[in-house]
Amino acid sequence: MAFFEPMQKATEPRHWLGDMEADHYFYGAGVMGQRFFEALRDEGKLLGSRCERCDWTYVPPRLYCERCFAELKELRDVGLRGRVKAFTVVYVNKQGEPLDPPEVFALIEFGPNITPFLHKLGDAPPERVHVGMVVEAVLKPPAEREGKITDIRYFRPI
Amino acid sequence: MRDVAIVGVGCTPFRPLTPEVNWKELTFQAAVRAYEDAGIDPRRDVDSFITCAEDFWEGFSIFDEFTPDQLGAVLRPMHTVTGDGLLGLANAVMQIKTGLCDVVVVEAHSKISELLTFEHVVELAFDSVYEAPLSRERDVHPYYVAGLEMQLYLHETGTTEEQCAAVVVQDKQNALLNPLAPYGTRMSVDDVLGSPPLSDPLKRLEVAPRADGCVVLVLAAGEIAERLCEVPIYIEGIGWCSESPWIAARGAEALYAKRAAQMAYEQAGITNPLQQIDFAEVDDRFAFKLLQHVEALGLAHPGQAGKLLLDGMFSRDGELPVNPSGGCLGAGDLIEAGGLARALEVVLQLRGEAGARQLPDVETGVALSWRGVPHGTGAVAVFRRRS
Repeated sequence: MAFFEPMQKATEPRHWLGDMEADHYFYGAGVMGQRFFEALRDEGKLLGSRCERCDWTYVPPRLYCERCFAELKELRDVGLRGRVKAFTVVYVNKQGEPLDPPEVFALIEFGPNITPFLHKLGDAPPERVHVGMVVEAVLKPPAEREGKITDIRYFRPI
Repeated sequence: MRDVAIVGVGCTPFRPLTPEVNWKELTFQAAVRAYEDAGIDPRRDVDSFITCAEDFWEGFSIFDEFTPDQLGAVLRPMHTVTGDGLLGLANAVMQIKTGLCDVVVVEAHSKISELLTFEHVVELAFDSVYEAPLSRERDVHPYYVAGLEMQLYLHETGTTEEQCAAVVVQDKQNALLNPLAPYGTRMSVDDVLGSPPLSDPLKRLEVAPRADGCVVLVLAAGEIAERLCEVPIYIEGIGWCSESPWIAARGAEALYAKRAAQMAYEQAGITNPLQQIDFAEVDDRFAFKLLQHVEALGLAHPGQAGKLLLDGMFSRDGELPVNPSGGCLGAGDLIEAGGLARALEVVLQLRGEAGARQLPDVETGVALSWRGVPHGTGAVAVFRRRS
């Protein structure tokens, strides 16, 4: 290998800093996303799409069933209440610094045969959170909603 | 169809930082070693080259255009697989089996120390409309997904936090005998359990530290392999599978790995993995993933891997050694090179070239890779030394 005169000091290697230009990208909501976010913003509802053949509902709604590949046309209101299927208490941010207070993420099941929904828990001391806990969505007040996933502030225990 | 065997391996040591070389030179070093090992000239003897890489890890867009020169592949057939190295290996196997090529080179590398915003790039891999905004609000570490999946796995299988911590202890101890591995050390289960929580129940010491490194493998058709080297290591089966990309749609089981294993086992004629496989190298970027992946390989019943690990079944002198290399926890998270690092260890063990960590009497080994958080893609390859 042609390293006859290798670098011997840590300060020798040169480097350049750069950026990947990904700050500005347009992500379209899509057919189902449009319906989901409008229902969330305007009616305070959570919609799912149901596959009749598989008897399975996707929340957020998708245009197709990942099980049988059917195009999905039936939207249903899955309600704002569900049960915690799994949860985690996150203690660090991306820099590895403490998150104070910690953030709780959970998979929430709105019922049988419905894909769980990923979101955060709030108003819940981490030590009290448990699998099976009944929670409900806390939405932003109608005037503050923007049609985004964060229009749901978090889910809180009932 | 034709047999396919590995006839050459080359790598750099895996290290936390590699400031003295750039990523192309890192690859060049590993490639030179692989070609030397195989006794071939890449400008004359190789029919096709494959790199496994992804733009955002590399800091280039359209990275696949930057791959030929450091491998000796300029003006030769070359393509990039945007995925883990075992997926590239699968492409190489197909090119040889179909008769299109006789000798194929597969490369994967990690120069991840040069990505200064690793956690942000991981978050960029989340669904940008439904998932990423949830962690972006408070700059939450994206490995919370590993904490969530670990909690689900523990809850549904009865696996304990102690059993997961024991994975770290075993891996880091194994790594002490692997000169390629930077993260070997002796520690106790209590050290791991006492390390700060990252995303409960996931502890910081249960996360594999990242490493730079490159692995290059040279593959050849069976009849050529026998001519090129004394101990060709045959690829008897290779499979891959992707689960739903939605974080919330996946369950406690590593279904992607189970299906990938089924595909590979079917080709390799493996019907009873516990009887027919001598050892395994599996992705364990998070400690619990080793247990989940061992179960997906059919080497333990669901929920039993943790208990069997504590019983010593998967230790170097156990009935079925797992990660004699130290795995990701001991040898480092090599990003897209993870699968080839696992395959490299399997090949070295089967050749009898694993030095102080050599397992006795091994004939068949399996490698399993996973793409990492937040995704569910895996690949499995079965390797055999034919007597």
